[in-house]
Amino acid sequence: MLRKKVESVIMEVQKPARYMGGEVGSIVKNKENVDVRFAFCFPDIYDVGMSHLGMKILYSLINERENYWCERVFAPWTDFEEVMRREEIPLYGLESFDPIRDFDFIGFTLQYEMSYTNILNMLDLAGVPIFARDRGESLVPIVCAGGPCACNPEPLADFFDLFILGEGEEVNLELMDLYKEMKDKGASRSEFLRAAAQIEGIYVPSLYDIAYHEDGTIASVTPRDNAPTVVKKRVMTDMDKSYYPDNCVVPFTEIVHERVSVEVLRGCIRGCRFCQAGFLYRPFREKSTETICKQAKALCDNSGYDEMSLSSLSTSDHSDIVHMLDELLKYTADRRINMSLPSLRIDNFSEDVLERVTAVRKSGLTFAPEAGTQRLRDVINKNVTEDEVMRTCAIAFAGGYTNVKLYFMLGLPTETDEDIIGIADLAQKVVNLFYDTPNRAKGKVQVSISTATFVPKPFTPFEFEPQVDNEEILRRQNVLRNAITSNKIRASMHVSEVSRMEAVLARGDRRLCDVVYAAWKNGCKLDGWDEYFDGEKWLAAFEECGLTPQFYANRTRSYEEVMPWDHLDYLVSKKFLIRENQKAHQAQTTPSCREHCAGCGANSCLGGACF
Amino acid sequence: MYNRINYRAVFEKTGSAKYISHLDLNRCMQRAIRRADLPAWYTEGFHPHMYLMFSLALSLGAESMCETMDFRLTESIPPQEVMERLNAALPEGLKVHAVVFPKYAAADIGSAVYRVELESSDVQALAAEWDNFAAQPEILMEKKTKRGMKEINIAPMITVLSAEQTEGIFRIFLRLPAGNEANLNVSIVTDAFKKYAEQPFSIVKAIREKIFCLNGEEFS
Repeated sequence: MLRKKVESVIMEVQKPARYMGGEVGSIVKNKENVDVRFAFCFPDIYDVGMSHLGMKILYSLINERENYWCERVFAPWTDFEEVMRREEIPLYGLESFDPIRDFDFIGFTLQYEMSYTNILNMLDLAGVPIFARDRGESLVPIVCAGGPCACNPEPLADFFDLFILGEGEEVNLELMDLYKEMKDKGASRSEFLRAAAQIEGIYVPSLYDIAYHEDGTIASVTPRDNAPTVVKKRVMTDMDKSYYPDNCVVPFTEIVHERVSVEVLRGCIRGCRFCQAGFLYRPFREKSTETICKQAKALCDNSGYDEMSLSSLSTSDHSDIVHMLDELLKYTADRRINMSLPSLRIDNFSEDVLERVTAVRKSGLTFAPEAGTQRLRDVINKNVTEDEVMRTCAIAFAGGYTNVKLYFMLGLPTETDEDIIGIADLAQKVVNLFYDTPNRAKGKVQVSISTATFVPKPFTPFEFEPQVDNEEILRRQNVLRNAITSNKIRASMHVSEVSRMEAVLARGDRRLCDVVYAAWKNGCKLDGWDEYFDGEKWLAAFEECGLTPQFYANRTRSYEEVMPWDHLDYLVSKKFLIRENQKAHQAQTTPSCREHCAGCGANSCLGGACF
Repeated sequence: MYNRINYRAVFEKTGSAKYISHLDLNRCMQRAIRRADLPAWYTEGFHPHMYLMFSLALSLGAESMCETMDFRLTESIPPQEVMERLNAALPEGLKVHAVVFPKYAAADIGSAVYRVELESSDVQALAAEWDNFAAQPEILMEKKTKRGMKEINIAPMITVLSAEQTEGIFRIFLRLPAGNEANLNVSIVTDAFKKYAEQPFSIVKAIREKIFCLNGEEFS
């Protein structure tokens, strides 16, 4: 029924294939034989969401169970949203065209803070009450979320029935099993939520009362109804035994990443102090070369993609990387599959690796020194020296590369103008190096500098740090601009107002739910898209709610302060984070986990050392 | 040097496959050929790519029973087997009807026949309006050309082969020029009729049924 209605209007919008499903690899079941239906919602448009690895894994995982059916749902672009509202088309699953308000679960993945208003918009388009408290006692639908931003879900706590912390491969099915059992018994929503809170990794925010001090900081978090005092994230301890799909949905229309994703490892041994993922995904666990090759081959054969990406936080940290690339190349080379390694570390980027990556096709080279001087790189524990940057670029230039992209952050703790000028100096040295390379490629060198504003995140040693305010960031951007003299260097700098909102939401508390709601009511959506982000509307929302962004973004937090996420356990201890914060202020580095265990605490789930 | 053997697949593009744009169709077919594990021939330039050629573009939203795709294999494989392997790898709505060795070139194409089905509350009135519409000596429509938008008279380009009414559906068979010399998208004709007709209608189907060569033979 709904399909026909959509078909009658779909030619009015751009890229109708985003909304029509039917792709190779999409899974359609007979709903008569299905017990539990799950709407996997990505709070951004199809083109972005379809590139996301987590969705691919969990979509296939759920659908392996004969009586469970997982469908995909994305935010519509504005043109289709207009049509949906005009024609009263509710948000539907791409596989069945059934409205998701009738599904058992509506599950969002929280990938970045600026997608929060899209979640509210999607719930509204679905016809589901936006506040969890308005959903009544019937079981359907349970609105839940997981993903990295679930590590501090407080700014969304009022909208969700439950959050899933950590890796979903086991806990998602446990949750669905419990649901099926309780649905059969005719349980109510609150009965189900109380029971779900007993599963490790499930956080039911309505079972926790938050009290505040007069200054706005948190006084206490009190669980009710036997909910655990601390909710611990879930971890897959053996990556070789962990579920991985052998197929994926292959979109018709062009998306952000047109390729197969082969996950090679989880976690990171580096401990860069600004990097949330580096701490959230601990401990470090890798797949064996054999597993990686098997999974890569199955995915390529079944999807027909001609590009494969080895994905992880730091692929070159795999202990068997050179041998693994050789094994993969045996398969990819004669099948004309291009291999891309998006997360190469500058310091262990060897000639061997470079040779293997370029064996199929040459692509650009990207490095992230993050800071312009050695002192500041030591502060953030980005253990990369200028010598290493230069040595790697020398290899790359001799290997025929002419484009180098360098990523930096502005506003890092302890940053001075000297550090900023250091960014321009480093880029200039790379330009000079190119012209000093005897066997360089013909033509000009292009060094692109990209700077983002530093955003302090929960579960990092910088969670206590203030974000530098907007005015000062703009001044620092100018310092950098003025320090660049060569036309071979191109600099792009990111909008700082977006970064501030990101900082607010990342470390926000439960009171921000009203701000997010007011911002959405004021018309905020697609905040991650520069052309739609409207800082004025966000500021108006803060005013309406009597709160300020400065309280959340620009304030130094003491080590003693109760953080809004302190009752969530991501295995990395607060003691460790404080220790690392102190070392940062003394510009002391911490060696990689492989060299020396820093005692973060994450190995508790492995029952012993990581290495 | 690899062998290269020319093949032509004749396929339908129907149902939800009609939302696949021309550009996306190319990508989709490449992946299907890879899934089918056919030994495709790649161009030999600096950036080798799979050789694929579609003889006649189809507008987004239109269906077809007679699309053609030319490709090359480096090994000789019986056409029947190529067809079966492709069909096993293709999504719903794309189905190969035949794999042949090409007889005509894309430049030989002259026209195409379309079936258009319109739904309306008063089919009789719509049919009468269609007759008047098609009898006009001049129908001016904007058409995209290589030099930007241009207003052209499409009336002499439309040949109505037949028209019939069944319950709630008005069905028209049209022949329109196609190919390099002159080309008219069926969507331009339905847009023109939409502007002309007072009786509201919706397009149930616009489907290309056959492609003909300038010499009158069916394109194959």
